[in-house]
Amino acid sequence: MWYAALVRFIRRRLVLGIIFASSLTYCIVSFLKEGNSRNMIYQDIAFERKPFVWRTLQEHNDTNDNIKCRNSVQGKQLLVDDRGYVCQRMDVLKNGCCDLEADFTDRYSCETCSDNNCCVIYEYCVSCCLDPSKRDMLEVVLSKLSTEKNVLFRSLSDDYELCLTKCRTSSHSVLHENSYKDPIHKHCFGDEPTRARTPD
Amino acid sequence: MTASLIKLNTLIYISIYLFPLVFADEEVVKLNELCNTTSSERADYEFNTDILPKQHIITYKGYFPRSTRENYVSAALRNVGISSWTLLRRDNPAKEYPSDFDVIILEDVGRQALDALKDHPAIKRVTAQRQVTRTIKYVREDDCGPGGCLYAGWRNHRVRALHSLRKPRENGGYTSRKLLRTVPRQITSVLKADLLWSLGVTGDGIKVAVFDTGLARNHPHFGRVRERTDWTGENTLDDALGHGTFVAGVIASRADCLGFAPDADLHIFRVFTDNQVSYTSWFLDAFNYAIMRKIDVLNLSIGGPDFMDHPFVDKVWELSANKVIMVSAIGNDGPLYGTLNNPADQMDVIGVGGISFDDRIAKFSSRGMTTWELPHGYGRMKPDIVTYGSGVRGSSVTGGCRSLSGTSVASPVVAGAIALLASGVPRHNLTPAAVKQALCMTAERLPGPNMFEQGHGKLDLISAYQFLRKYEPQASLSPSYIDLTECQYMWPYCTQPLYYSAQPTIANVTVINGLGVSGRVKEVTWHPHLPHGVMLSVSADYSSILWPWSGWLALSFSVLEHGADFDGVVEGHMNVTIESYDDSGEKTMKNATLTLPIRARVIPVPVRSRRLLWDQFHSLRYPGGYFPRDDLRAKHDPLDWHADHVHTNFRDMYRRLREHGFYLEVMGTPLTCVDTSLYGALLLVDPEDEYFPEEMAALKKAVDSGMSLVVFADWYNASLLRHVKFYDENTRQWWIPETGGANVPALNDLLSMYQVALGDRVFEGAFKLGGHPMYYASGTHIHSFPEHGILVTAQLTDQGHQIMSGEKQNGGTGASTQGQTVDVPILGLLQTDGETRDYTNDTMEKLPKSGRLVVYGDSSCLEGGVARNCHWLLLAALQYALVGHLPSSLKDAATPHQHRLRDVHIIPSELPQRAEGGRLHVYSRVLSPDGSGPRPVPECVPPTPVEPQPIHAPPAARTLAPRHQPTDPKSIGAPDIEGTEPAPRTWRGAGAAPSRHVGIEHASPSMTSRAMTLLAIIAIVYCLTAAWKRCGRKLRRRRLMSLAT
Repeated sequence: MWYAALVRFIRRRLVLGIIFASSLTYCIVSFLKEGNSRNMIYQDIAFERKPFVWRTLQEHNDTNDNIKCRNSVQGKQLLVDDRGYVCQRMDVLKNGCCDLEADFTDRYSCETCSDNNCCVIYEYCVSCCLDPSKRDMLEVVLSKLSTEKNVLFRSLSDDYELCLTKCRTSSHSVLHENSYKDPIHKHCFGDEPTRARTPD
Repeated sequence: MTASLIKLNTLIYISIYLFPLVFADEEVVKLNELCNTTSSERADYEFNTDILPKQHIITYKGYFPRSTRENYVSAALRNVGISSWTLLRRDNPAKEYPSDFDVIILEDVGRQALDALKDHPAIKRVTAQRQVTRTIKYVREDDCGPGGCLYAGWRNHRVRALHSLRKPRENGGYTSRKLLRTVPRQITSVLKADLLWSLGVTGDGIKVAVFDTGLARNHPHFGRVRERTDWTGENTLDDALGHGTFVAGVIASRADCLGFAPDADLHIFRVFTDNQVSYTSWFLDAFNYAIMRKIDVLNLSIGGPDFMDHPFVDKVWELSANKVIMVSAIGNDGPLYGTLNNPADQMDVIGVGGISFDDRIAKFSSRGMTTWELPHGYGRMKPDIVTYGSGVRGSSVTGGCRSLSGTSVASPVVAGAIALLASGVPRHNLTPAAVKQALCMTAERLPGPNMFEQGHGKLDLISAYQFLRKYEPQASLSPSYIDLTECQYMWPYCTQPLYYSAQPTIANVTVINGLGVSGRVKEVTWHPHLPHGVMLSVSADYSSILWPWSGWLALSFSVLEHGADFDGVVEGHMNVTIESYDDSGEKTMKNATLTLPIRARVIPVPVRSRRLLWDQFHSLRYPGGYFPRDDLRAKHDPLDWHADHVHTNFRDMYRRLREHGFYLEVMGTPLTCVDTSLYGALLLVDPEDEYFPEEMAALKKAVDSGMSLVVFADWYNASLLRHVKFYDENTRQWWIPETGGANVPALNDLLSMYQVALGDRVFEGAFKLGGHPMYYASGTHIHSFPEHGILVTAQLTDQGHQIMSGEKQNGGTGASTQGQTVDVPILGLLQTDGETRDYTNDTMEKLPKSGRLVVYGDSSCLEGGVARNCHWLLLAALQYALVGHLPSSLKDAATPHQHRLRDVHIIPSELPQRAEGGRLHVYSRVLSPDGSGPRPVPECVPPTPVEPQPIHAPPAARTLAPRHQPTDPKSIGAPDIEGTEPAPRTWRGAGAAPSRHVGIEHASPSMTSRAMTLLAIIAIVYCLTAAWKRCGRKLRRRRLMSLAT
């Protein structure tokens, strides 16, 4: 009789103890977990967090034929791909990458950018930001942002996404809520501008 | 010329607010619109009720035959000795049957009679009989009537308090009668969403973002809340107001009151605090996150009048450019025109207006052209589309359903509909432009309202689905044709025909470019249809780049000189070539040539005395800067933001003038650019800007040579301006108005050549003039006037003094007129050269060559939505100004000369001084920005006409409107895209939750963890009982043993 044997086995003191202990631990752990997620206020359903990756120059330079590029979809006339190339909208290839042969394609271009890492044109800001020489500064920026517990920057997965996001106008770009601090150079990727922002 | 004439402003005023949801019983405004080709009449009826003094309704406690009822009444009244009464006989088929009420006519109404009736045991209650009357006027619900609300400082106007979610007013009885309408249980079935559900289209895989007040964690109506984020820093993600829950429910609820896309992935962005506070910066960060999350559809049931909030506007463009389909509510500021809200008024956004279930435009729905383009250009058509927004059922915070109204409701209806149809069409067809085209081109046009009220018409979900399934990238124009003769749809174009020498009529067409994010207008050609089309000259101006997915094309029409005597209809068409880069990487340009049919009616040039010039150029307004309303008591909406255009808030006045045969032309340029000899009078109503010295000289010359000047001014007082400033917490700045209701110092400079000046005291009050009841809402007064002029005075109270001294009024006109009333000169009529007298009986030759001047101190009575308008006064003033005839109504009211004080100072007052340190020069079109005085007069650039290429073409059909055949719901096919398996047909049209993946994705983790916990608890209990069974026996035995010993 396997049934009777099973019951007898379960009735053993040791087995009972093990079941009791494990169930109790599970209960405690799950209750604690629930409590934790309640305390998290910014974002209650967490997406799977991809670790942040700094892509190397090799990855930027990958000349594999069947590479696919992400690019900044939004531009009026320019686009920037994830290798740091800025090109005219018409010079984008089928795979989303900029055509390297085109006349106006440029890499890590800081055109229209000023010394404080703020640019007039978004695409140049992203391209400039992707320059490997800016990596040290970006790491500082990123570490600062991650301490801010900003849900936006916690969900970034690589340097391209960081640059795309950092260059957009944000709460840091506005003065008095409805105007830009600097209406010309409004796309910034650097550390917070040191300029004081309370003129009144 | 049009759009993007945005001046950078440093003044700040963030005013994004949630559209209040109005409870579902707004008053029904019946629109009855008649029209012919040249003029339109339009009557807006509103139902009002009045008490009939002698009639009362008796309600019995049961149903009794007539004789019994009579006995009851006579018994009750006999006790108090009243005999003079009759019961109203009703001669209808019901009279034979028992009834539970009667109407009694009491000759001498005494309280005792009513009390006696009430005391009768068979009578339930006695109420006053009411008469339902219809008045031909809009009365704004929020507007304070005369003596209504008091001035109490302009605070907190930015935050619209939640009067939104108010319950229906308890008015216990017969205070107002409402039309009962059948309100459908499910909004989704009205739009036939269940048909798409039955095809397996349920919004699956579409990411919908809701920017609102949040959503509770485990609301029973929602299955797929992917993510909730808070951007307010309030340490909560839950919705305390109900706004966000309702909006999310309309989009994706899957229980009770169903939403459109139950399987869509909801991303809840909490951007409003519980106090309805929000900041642009919160929106910017949240929008950036939405871009990164690759949101498909984003609903914004929010808005504000500030379209000059550049960071916000730019960000909305950026979202559209990233293929986020933006849907926004047009606003709840109707029925006034010029009340569109940002971001719904942006070209790339789908702006949604509200209608009721009987297909009439909801009263609250904002309407009117966009006002970015004024004064030089003309507004675009908005809203884009309308849908049900009145009495819609949706989720409530507590988990049940509730019925709410507002464009906040209409917007998620469209957003949910988009999410639904998006899941059934190929992914590459899902661009903001394609979706907008699908909605607009398939919308069903409503018969009554004009295009500035209904846009393209009512949402047709099934047709839009069908359109989008077979979508080919294309460009389109909105509106898709220009028929300047078509009434009522093409209001206001159809109300005034074109003629030679008129200011150009401008139509601002929006280009929706489905070919790509970015494109441009390559070519615009004009093909007048022979023989008459060649009289029409068209000039085109367009955005240099069509981005994102859209742009504007402004066409100005004018009649050439050889059409000066022509009377008839002219036709033609324009070809617009749009080009865009192909996204496919082929390095090719996509081209699309669109044909825009045009029809206009041309009449011979009207006589000078019928032609009026409306000054739009000197009108400044919010959001340029802080320009206060003309009525100081309108504290709930203190900003002058309705554009002061004849087609927005002065629409009623425009209609009245057109009815009387006047031709009104809008002057969007300085006076120096206009040939003043063509016009009978120049209307200066509520001007805020200064005047160029050259303009003053031009005006003097014009008046000397016969043009009259009609001025409707408004209040101005420098110390009052400082008094009504307020501290804006967003900007940490004091907000001081740039001018008063009108710029009186500038007007005084202009009028000084006629020895006319307006004073700095502010008056208010109700009075009668020429038999018309009038209300003077915060106006100025005439400070000095030439002796030979005619002055009209009125008894008014000094409102400026009351406000300054913070006097508390008791409310009600009675109280305010009891105060110290002063005899205030408010209207002045002047013949600018020589003696002012009535020229009625003289021949035209005797009429002086120079023009006349009419000055009135208040302009708000000309605006729409006021209780007592003064259109008659304007007409009377025009009669005097144009033909020198003083109407008898004004003649009688005029102060006799002998009573006039010899002193020029009629009542003690000062001349208003410009506020020191004023910042008007920042916003002015006349003053130079550095504050050093007027700029050089801008050059007058006549529009360059498009070279005509006449063709022979047969006359067009009666209507140019494209006919879109609504899709037969039976004919639609299932989606043929990968990854959408056919859904079970079981819940077609059912009220049950149409969820296909119950608890697999979102629901599963919490469900399994809960089950595991339960199992663990059971195991613990089992262990304990087992242990107790085993060890307990020993224990019990021990206890027994101890008892025994």
